[in-house]
Amino acid sequence: MQNAKDTFYVTLRTRLATLNPNRTMLLRGVQRPGILVEEAEAVVPMLPADVFVLRWTGLSADVSLPLVLARMECEILYTTGGTQPASGLDRGRAVEEMDAEILNLLRPNCAPKMNYTQTPPAQMNTPVFWSAADFTPVVTTRDRLSRSARVTVFAYQEPGEL
Amino acid sequence: MSTAAVTYTTPTTPITRRVRAYFAPVNRAAGSPTIFDPSVNGAFNLDAPPAPWIDLGWITNFTRKSASAINVLNVGSPAAPQVQMRELIGATLSFRFLTWRKLSMALSAGSEHMNLLAPAAGATPNGSGSKGVTAVALTAGSTATSLNIASASLSGFAVGQMVVVDSDYAGQTGYVGSGVSAAYVQSAASVNNDPDYIRRVSFNVALVSAVTSTGLTLAQPLLAGAPANGMKVQVIEGFVDREGGSFFQEWSALLVMPGEQGERILYYYPRLQPTGGAQEDTETLLAPLEWVALNASFRAMPVIDANDGEQVLCFRSFLPSPMTLV
Repeated sequence: MQNAKDTFYVTLRTRLATLNPNRTMLLRGVQRPGILVEEAEAVVPMLPADVFVLRWTGLSADVSLPLVLARMECEILYTTGGTQPASGLDRGRAVEEMDAEILNLLRPNCAPKMNYTQTPPAQMNTPVFWSAADFTPVVTTRDRLSRSARVTVFAYQEPGEL
Repeated sequence: MSTAAVTYTTPTTPITRRVRAYFAPVNRAAGSPTIFDPSVNGAFNLDAPPAPWIDLGWITNFTRKSASAINVLNVGSPAAPQVQMRELIGATLSFRFLTWRKLSMALSAGSEHMNLLAPAAGATPNGSGSKGVTAVALTAGSTATSLNIASASLSGFAVGQMVVVDSDYAGQTGYVGSGVSAAYVQSAASVNNDPDYIRRVSFNVALVSAVTSTGLTLAQPLLAGAPANGMKVQVIEGFVDREGGSFFQEWSALLVMPGEQGERILYYYPRLQPTGGAQEDTETLLAPLEWVALNASFRAMPVIDANDGEQVLCFRSFLPSPMTLV
């Protein structure tokens, strides 16, 4: 399943870099597109603002097929307090902008599955595909608006794949 | 000297979670099905069925029905049953394939199943595929997994392509196709005397895994084994079936229910012919994503059991779980 998770993240990261080059973050000393995988970064008490955080939750597998079909649940969390020049009064617009970006990042809803443990990464035989985003209501915490989009990611487990 | 006490289990209700399907060709010209002997192969490894059985994977919605009818002869006054007679024997079964491939599609559609030959430039369009690119002759030494081809012809092939390997049609009538009786030709005129006709219907197909300096390496063995002299290879783009057609596929089938306690129930149908047309069902995976599964339904045709000369349609075998009283 790790190849599918890596592929999903890298696909969204690549698309974000094109879609909104200004949504960046400084992470571990490197400037990069504003999207990260929660389980692959240091534990923090609060979600970083204005970036997308991928949180992998549920997993199920259909083992009746010749290739096991893995179904992985991914929550894409994001939070914003708006911009400083606007004193946060644009936080509604900011969250709407991130909503729109999520919709665009998820289209098209498939990508060739890659094995990123190799250098250069190797394309595998089956693609990764995913559902449309299921958005949760906005939650207001002090000056921040937060929302998540749930996406189900599907991938066939190829022979010998971890 | 003492022996350890042996414990036995009383018989229990078999519990199974799924059914696996295997099919094998029937020699239509000779009228002989593929024999499955449960006393020899009943405990076979489900991932490695004995030759020539083809593993079609797990199936769902497996239902089998007896259509046999028993009547009674009542005699006397008042009449009382004196004799029972088996008036009719019949059996049907249906299920759903979880995978789409050449064979599951053909079994689901029931009639001729065609390969979409890579089209020749400028060929007239046709619903079941147009005339194909000229077939390439195989050279000596080809096997079920490697096809030897003259180097000048290799440029027409690439890794990942599907190919069909079979003979040219040469005007014969009757069943055609290597390894499997894929269609019945009534006259040369009905198939336009097309040299590619047998390759159009043949089940002798495979995926190309490598193109070498001497030919093609296949990712799966050809169903008919090593190609015979005179066979040719053509690239195919996919498959097509039709609602209609006069031909009936006929296959031997083996359906296996592995039990949770190690027991096994096997259903062997020596001769099955389809009873339905091309039909599929959808099932929601996660809206709007849907599975598309092939439905298949069959009627069992009779064979003669060599042990007693009886006419039968199906053999049901049961291999009990270990150390269970019988």
